[in-house]
Amino acid sequence: MTPLSRLLLLPVVTMTVCAPAQATVYMTVAQAQKAMIGDRPVTPVPIVLTPEQTLAVERDTGTRLVDGTLRAWKSDDEYFFVDAVIGKHDLITYAATIGSDGKLRKVEILEYREAYGSEVHNPRWLAQFTGHQHGDTLRVGEGIQNISGATLSCQHLTEGIRRLLSIYANVLKPANG
Amino acid sequence: MTHSSKSGVKFLIAAAALSAAAGAAADPSTPPTAEQQLIEQLSRQLQDMKAQLNELKAQNQPMAQQLQDLKAEVNQLRAQGPSVAQQQQVVQSVQAAPPPQALATSARASSLFDNLSLWGYGEVYYNRPIHEPSRTQADLARAVFGIGYTFDDRTVFNSEYEVEHAVSSASDAGEFEVEQFYVDHQLSNWATVRGGLFLIPFGLLNEHHEPTAFYGVQRNFVETLIIPSTWREGGFNFHGNTDLGIGWNVGVTTGFDLSKWNYSPEYPQYVTALELEDNDAAPLQATHQELSLSNASHLAEYVALSYNGVPGLTVGTAIFTGNAAKVPAPPNAPIPGNQRVTLWEAHARWTPGKFDLSALYAHGAIANLAVANASNPGSPNPIPSAFYGYYAQGAYTIWQNDTYRVSPFVRWERYSLGSRYEGTSGPDIPQGELPISATPGDYGFYPVNHDRVWTTGANFYVTPHVVVKADYQSFGDNKNFSRFDLGLGLNF
Repeated sequence: MTPLSRLLLLPVVTMTVCAPAQATVYMTVAQAQKAMIGDRPVTPVPIVLTPEQTLAVERDTGTRLVDGTLRAWKSDDEYFFVDAVIGKHDLITYAATIGSDGKLRKVEILEYREAYGSEVHNPRWLAQFTGHQHGDTLRVGEGIQNISGATLSCQHLTEGIRRLLSIYANVLKPANG
Repeated sequence: MTHSSKSGVKFLIAAAALSAAAGAAADPSTPPTAEQQLIEQLSRQLQDMKAQLNELKAQNQPMAQQLQDLKAEVNQLRAQGPSVAQQQQVVQSVQAAPPPQALATSARASSLFDNLSLWGYGEVYYNRPIHEPSRTQADLARAVFGIGYTFDDRTVFNSEYEVEHAVSSASDAGEFEVEQFYVDHQLSNWATVRGGLFLIPFGLLNEHHEPTAFYGVQRNFVETLIIPSTWREGGFNFHGNTDLGIGWNVGVTTGFDLSKWNYSPEYPQYVTALELEDNDAAPLQATHQELSLSNASHLAEYVALSYNGVPGLTVGTAIFTGNAAKVPAPPNAPIPGNQRVTLWEAHARWTPGKFDLSALYAHGAIANLAVANASNPGSPNPIPSAFYGYYAQGAYTIWQNDTYRVSPFVRWERYSLGSRYEGTSGPDIPQGELPISATPGDYGFYPVNHDRVWTTGANFYVTPHVVVKADYQSFGDNKNFSRFDLGLGLNF
């Protein structure tokens, strides 16, 4: 087989098995809402932290809070969050639900932009967070398994979930019961 | 209020009972009717007070509701009011959060810089051969900076630029290299096409070679000498991974150039472990092309498969094969056929809890070398027909606090840069002490091209992105290579 014919073969084979779809967008926010909390009505929840609460969350999670990425909504018995963390050097957008019992219910990756590390989209990896609550040890290697080759994405998503659980426990639960 | 009212009632009841008892005790002759009158009077007063109390409770309920409403209003004002917001960390803007149904999937970039990404990594070594401390070296081994540009959700450009050994000039050993330069275009959630100069998906390290990603000051020997990391080729590939955790990558690329082989090096190509890794002595290090005016008369293809469907476990295998640019034919002895280079590997990594266990085997072969090697008799450096290496490594996180982490590790590896030869019985290595470099008076033994190496040490992570490393390496065959290493690595 000549080099040219080999060059042509791969795209032809691949094009026939790959249906075009949206690129790195696994789900829109609306699709995630539907999949994670169904048709239950939601209301936006302002998340405003006092300096004391900010300090508490940062101490709690060992991470720094940044402005502007977190959005939250409340249904009758759970909170629905959409947030973003840096993977290796681009943002990963994800959604998570925390029930009124304070336990994390589900995590979904909405958008992934990195060239490497998209294995974090694996449902079995994401399922590791289910059932965890504020106070549980949630670190890669302690409670959460790593994915070789996606270490930074694993670490940063785990930090994101730690922050959500801490914000729920330190801010939302005291304010809304 | 409610609490104090209840206390008051209790006090009145107690006072009434006391005064009744006191009256009875002071004057036993008092007719019972008068006592009854007093009790009835007090009882009526008590009823009145109860009624008043209920009235107060009723008034209190709307007031409590009003208080709740006021609290909510204050919270809302806090969220909206700029003066308050200045004093508070606003993680989320309430005004900017419509119900999810109305949200776009993501904010679109509004300027050139929003589409740019920058990153980098680098590492500094200190290597002290314990038997030959005069060969101790310190080196800014690599400083790498990456630039990416997102054209749209489906099309991304990534590139990395590397300076090796700090200074790159005609009189220095350093190099400036383009390490990656490719465009990804996503076809579906599980298939992306990539074109340009990119890393070959081999082993555990080649694609993930930042110093924070591996144990030990320097990369392991197998994934440096057998898999020539950082190994990249020009071409294109299709790759992706599925929800089941199956990763796949298939590509057509440039291959190796055997015409670059040096059959007659004047001195040993390396006399320390650092030089072994740096001086392109291994078969594929000596012949890789890195898309620098590459001979592309022959192309190679590869397939890599991996599975990471079970959290914590990664297993994978890959094979790369292609005809190389041939060794120049000796006079009057044409080399018939092709010289095919084939490399394959299998690897596994398992990270249960604080353990990090991995193992890898890699094997390379170059076909049809009998004529080329036979026409260079007595060479200390013939081209091998087969070469291999394998390692097993275990690490354990003994301490973790805040961002700090300490993970000691141990690794055993074995490699052979020439396990089989055609047209020769193997390298014709000069015996005894002899000049081993251009430096006058620098005598030593010629190294052998195979070894067994124990590495023990620890990675100390200051943050997940900054690591300080120390290790000791003991060589079974080239005992003079045994060394103590320190390293500093970072990535962002």
